[in-house]
Amino acid sequence: MEPVKVAAVQAAPVLLDRDETIGKVVTLAAKAAAEGARLVAFPEAFVPGYPDWVWRTRPWDASALVLYERLFDQAVVIGSPAAGLLAETARRLRIWLSVGVSERDDAGSTLYNTLLHFAPDGSLAGRHRKLMPTGGERLVWGMGDGSTLKVIDTGFGRLGGLICWENYMPLARTALYAQGVDVYLAPTWDNSDVWVPTLRHIAKEGRTYVIGVTACIRAADLPAELPGRAALYGDDGDWLSRGNTVIIGPEGEVLAGPLTGEEGVVYAELDVRRARTGRQQFDPVGHYSRGDVLRLVVDTTPRPAVSFGSRDETAELTPPPAE
Amino acid sequence: MSSLRIAAVQASYVLMDRDATIDRVAGLTAAAAREGAQLVVFPEVFVPGTPIWIDTQLIWEGDEDWFALLAEGAVVVGGPAAERLAAIAAQHQVWLVIGVSEREEHGATIYNTVLYFSPQGVLAGRHRKLMPTGSERTIWGMGDGSTLRAVDTGLARIGGLICWENYMPLARFHLYAQGVEVWIAPTLAIGDGWVATMRHLARENRMFVIGVNPVLHADQIPAGFPGRDRLFAPGYLERTGPWLEEGNTVVVAPDGSVVAGPVREREETLVADLDLRAVATARRHLDPVGHYNRPDVFRLHVDTSPRPAVVETPGGAFAAGNGGTEQPTISESPGG
Repeated sequence: MEPVKVAAVQAAPVLLDRDETIGKVVTLAAKAAAEGARLVAFPEAFVPGYPDWVWRTRPWDASALVLYERLFDQAVVIGSPAAGLLAETARRLRIWLSVGVSERDDAGSTLYNTLLHFAPDGSLAGRHRKLMPTGGERLVWGMGDGSTLKVIDTGFGRLGGLICWENYMPLARTALYAQGVDVYLAPTWDNSDVWVPTLRHIAKEGRTYVIGVTACIRAADLPAELPGRAALYGDDGDWLSRGNTVIIGPEGEVLAGPLTGEEGVVYAELDVRRARTGRQQFDPVGHYSRGDVLRLVVDTTPRPAVSFGSRDETAELTPPPAE
Repeated sequence: MSSLRIAAVQASYVLMDRDATIDRVAGLTAAAAREGAQLVVFPEVFVPGTPIWIDTQLIWEGDEDWFALLAEGAVVVGGPAAERLAAIAAQHQVWLVIGVSEREEHGATIYNTVLYFSPQGVLAGRHRKLMPTGSERTIWGMGDGSTLRAVDTGLARIGGLICWENYMPLARFHLYAQGVEVWIAPTLAIGDGWVATMRHLARENRMFVIGVNPVLHADQIPAGFPGRDRLFAPGYLERTGPWLEEGNTVVVAPDGSVVAGPVREREETLVADLDLRAVATARRHLDPVGHYNRPDVFRLHVDTSPRPAVVETPGGAFAAGNGGTEQPTISESPGG
């Protein structure tokens, strides 16, 4: 298994404009691919942009509702042309492409904070819906179930990740460690100075590479016609997110970044053999676990609200018990 | 009371001299109590000190005398050394939390243990490290799941794990679920990476975190220490420098910000006032065992049963005359 170059893209979305933002993904992914990156990662909810207004408006305010309407309209549906364009980008550039999106089911009305992983063959190799939105996000996004916690084998290492403060869920992290994650993505909106220490901790706890990727956007980047723009957002000095993009090695060492206050692409070369042999010192799901004392059970069953079938089939459709 | 004054003692032990080290504990605790500390925390295996030879020399290379000192100096719960520690807590009316090398009275296996003494001089908690690290495995056994209890001091709920146990997410989660407000992490771990971990833990469970280390310079090894001249493999000190324990004591707030420290390459007791209200208010943002958990997806089972090597059944299974097929009753673990 050879070392691989990866890229974490810190950029501003064109807020609430799906196609324009995907245009930026296409351009920036091509740039990173030209630099030799085989994995290109974009921030949390990058398409069509993080709903920052949940922190600036009172719940159910008219100014928030009009923005939600736009977010709903611009969300990504799996199987739609927008998702197809992302898949085609991965295929054309022969890269792994991981992008955070606001996602919904075709006939559904709840939005999810989702991380999509497209393979170099253009297939959607992985999808993770954030298990738990944070604070004001809970007014915008629903919760994923345990069926989207899968780690993917890329050929250069096992790829997985959690979104923003999900990274503070020890059990969710353990579920990824147990699948041998070597390259751990942590797209986030978190700008705090504790975030990098958290990613260093996760790297050392899981003996995994960690790619933290954050949007970088200020009021000046917002489309002129964004509803409520003047009332909610200030001038150039008004940062929605300064960015915090960083790549960490499996000893918890910072390899690149953190990049703040500007757009840019952060690169690093990863050698997953280092992560795996580093687990000689610590392996949270192997020799440094205590399965006799502490045992985690994860329900990975899809949990749709409704299952359909004929009466004869409904017995089979009844979801199995949690264990 | 919503404020708690703590003291995290970064100090040197007297290597493998239990009584002299406990003398130091007495003096340092008295000094911390004079500053008004209600909770005084000492480092990992402070009594009788780190068995440094497991890293400074080849494994099992001429270490008989050193291990004999460790076995002799290990603290036995209920024994005189433990009673002295209890008396120190009572004398100064403080909660005293201290790492010791511990063994059973007639046992030969040493455990890496943290003892919690109340201001009444009662042993209110004991935690044996679940998993030693690397070369530590040549010297310490493993604790079972019965010593993972948070302690309610009446001032705050306290608890913690030892050194790299702090990288065990499931063990942490089990303690988080017991409502720990002040986390105590006695350790030998040095460097900024460890401080990052302390900050992460604080923010993960929105609690105060006290990381506490010893500090020891090579010159502090007693002149009469047996085999002192062969304690270090050739070139060891040149490679690592003279600080056998560099220190890294740090206190962190529930938002992950550093309150005090990290202190390195000197003795110092960090004293800090912890506003415990900050814990509950910070958990409105994130509570890893409450509103930010997903118990429908994740379920952690913990076997908290003591697991002694032998379960005696006097007059039981074999006296029943059934050919020994009857099994002694062992209480079901919660995990089943």
